Amino acid sequence: MDTTRPTPLACERMASLVDDSVDDRLDQATRTQLEAHLAGCESCRRRADDLGEIRRRAGALAPRVPRPEVWARIAQQLAAQAPARPRTFWTGARVALAMAAVLVLSVVSSVIVLRDPRPSPPRTPPAQTSATAVHLSASDTVKDVDEHLRIADANYQQAITGLEKIVATEQTALDPAVAATLQRNLGIIDQAIRESRAAITSQPTSQIAQTSLFDALRQKVALLEDTVALINVMRRGDQAGAAKLIGSLSKS
Amino acid sequence: MTTSNKTEAGRTDRDLAARCRRGEMVAFEELYRRHSGRLYTVAYRMTGSAADAEDMLQDVFLQAFRRIDSYRGEAALGTWLYRLAVNACLDHLRSHQGRQRKATDFIEDVEGLEPVADPTWQPDRALDRIDLESAISRLPPSYRAAFVLHDVEGHEHHEVADMLGIAEGTSKSLLHKARRRLRAFLRGGPDDEAGRPAAAVTGAGADGRRGAR
Repeated sequence: MDTTRPTPLACERMASLVDDSVDDRLDQATRTQLEAHLAGCESCRRRADDLGEIRRRAGALAPRVPRPEVWARIAQQLAAQAPARPRTFWTGARVALAMAAVLVLSVVSSVIVLRDPRPSPPRTPPAQTSATAVHLSASDTVKDVDEHLRIADANYQQAITGLEKIVATEQTALDPAVAATLQRNLGIIDQAIRESRAAITSQPTSQIAQTSLFDALRQKVALLEDTVALINVMRRGDQAGAAKLIGSLSKS
Repeated sequence: MTTSNKTEAGRTDRDLAARCRRGEMVAFEELYRRHSGRLYTVAYRMTGSAADAEDMLQDVFLQAFRRIDSYRGEAALGTWLYRLAVNACLDHLRSHQGRQRKATDFIEDVEGLEPVADPTWQPDRALDRIDLESAISRLPPSYRAAFVLHDVEGHEHHEVADMLGIAEGTSKSLLHKARRRLRAFLRGGPDDEAGRPAAAVTGAGADGRRGAR
């Protein structure tokens, strides 16, 4: 090993070799020469290690996924340019319907939690009727797929309306900045819902458009549920719980 | 991929393209399902913005819809779409710089960049492990294009050069500078290529033409 201190000129010369080394493009003789330099030069060794690490991490970056709304927008524009086609079976209808059933139950529990500070006798949850409707539909009483879609959508809407009422009457408990964030995020979700509905209208067979609609509806319910939960913890004076929920509201 | 798999994939691509040409929206949706992830990923990293990447994705598929007649099945559909997407990204980067004199104008913008300030340089600290993605988005467009296409997407320099319309040596030079700039971002310190002539970093001549080893 060369024990003399490397000169800046030597480091300069080695700089180009470092990248070729990172890309595994050096012949054996040049590689040996570079390694000898790196063994005696901490600065170049660090640079080589860092650049190698950057290269490795760049190659391992996770794929990104576009939001479902993007296809909804594309489908809408394509449909405007393409001739009408017959509708085909919508396989996602049952899935959406099942999710709507779960959703209704979760809305019921939100309402009960909200009422918890003022204990009252057990009562029939307001959303019970729609849960029953979902059950009947899922047991093949309704065969038509469009009807499945319509019922699932109606259940989401009912859940959303219920939650919106709670939030509207109780939102004075929220900090104005949080309320503003909530409104902004609701606006974004509502836009996605509108775009998805438009895409479904023009492209009734598009599973992506349907998935997009139900994703947006689920997002809206989740946001409203978080808001209701936040109102609850603020009533209890639970600052830590409130901070956590505010974080999730901001990310919605 | 084996030869028979390739043949099968080629047949599937041609069938799908034929169905798209007939205006079957279900086929077009299938095309989107198969390829939107990869195209969105490269667009996201090239533009550094989710919103721009979504716009890009939308433009590319609408463009593909209009141009599907020109797809003859020589290349895989995914490759054809990928090239449309990369070209759209490069157009975006160019127009973002407000210059449209010639295709490679944005490449020239790398000269004269201010060196990164040096108040927090910490040679003993490990590279910031979290934020490579955000550091990439801070790169100048030409550095970012070369880095994303080579180090993230895994293209060879001759392919990067072809896509960017530049010499292979220039592609290498841009990549090397990009890596050093990223290192500086991730260490919170100076860019160690700043102030050094490009030729010294890459061995490239003034015309950027140096053969790959």
